[in-house]
Amino acid sequence: MDYAASEPGATAVASALAIKILIAGGFGVGKTTMVGTISEIRPLHTEELLSERSVGVDDTSGVEAKTTTTVALDFGRITIREGLWLYLFGTPGQDRFWFMWDELALGALGAVVLADTRRLQDCFPAVDYFEQRGIPFVVGVNCFDGARRYDPAKVRRALGLNETIPVVLCDVRERESVKHVLTTLVTYAVEGV
Amino acid sequence: MTGEDPGPLIRLFGLTGGRARPQGEAFDLVAIVTTVSGSYEPADLIPEHRAVLSVCRRPTPVADVAAHLRLPLNVTRVILGDLRREGLVTIERPRPVAQTIDERIYREVLHGLRSL
Ligand SMILES: Nc1nc2c(ncn2[C@@H]2O[C@H](COP(=O)(O)OP(=O)(O)O)[C@@H](O)[C@H]2O)c(=O)[nH]1
Ligand SMILES: [Mg+2]
Repeated sequence: MDYAASEPGATAVASALAIKILIAGGFGVGKTTMVGTISEIRPLHTEELLSERSVGVDDTSGVEAKTTTTVALDFGRITIREGLWLYLFGTPGQDRFWFMWDELALGALGAVVLADTRRLQDCFPAVDYFEQRGIPFVVGVNCFDGARRYDPAKVRRALGLNETIPVVLCDVRERESVKHVLTTLVTYAVEGV
Repeated sequence: MTGEDPGPLIRLFGLTGGRARPQGEAFDLVAIVTTVSGSYEPADLIPEHRAVLSVCRRPTPVADVAAHLRLPLNVTRVILGDLRREGLVTIERPRPVAQTIDERIYREVLHGLRSL
């Protein structure tokens, strides 16, 4: 960049920084809800275009997709101050969009893996993904009404998580709860840096 | 998900010439984009390009440019790649997280989150 690094007074511009956090987990676990609870911008949901090459084979017809298709991608923003933002990206759930994860994950500070205790297995792929790439993550157990309240230690064991990875109970419809999950992640991720 | 109305897709196709990837060096979805000040702005710029140059007079992350333009992220990135090639904007190069977040920024983020 041609920022004047030698000018100490120029930091307001030179230090503009957007920090990326991913929200992952199975379908219906609350990713979109979480981004919506905390984000200050709308639309929170963009339809992303995919080229025919990216999509490869069309699921429904079994033939090479010739047309552009779309995938919904949630994103939200939290402004900390002028020139410092947090961005939340909800990772697309469907398997055929895995390639998008690599792009989303690049340079990310960390990830929140949302888990629903009624179908814990749905978050295995996300846990594996972040573990393999050494991306810091925390597990947020979304406490749906009527779901059995699990002890975080049991969730940790069921997911085979290392002792150091935070597991927190949350309700992604509640702002305070989402704030707690995010501060836990930021603290955990920064400790590892 | 594609909907019934092909109109928006055709417009988006026109903005990118059907390209899915931006020209030149890859950049992140949250890379900071800055309009090059004093650059000569061609008279025949399309409205979307003009809008980017206006928004990015303040350094702005790619995702925010997309939100301002109400365009998909990857369409926005193609547009930004074109503007960079024209020398009208600069786009921050990818930096490892460890290099970007120091103690002070970490404190600011925590404080900012808590006081939301
Ligand atoms: N009762 C309850 N419902 C929730 C909670 N989180 C999400 N939901 C609902 O679950 C559904 C799926 O959530 P969504 O955010 O779309 O999941 P996504 O597929 O991961 O994006 C929506 O109808 C939400 O309103 C929660 O904590 N408690
Ligand atoms: Mg969703």
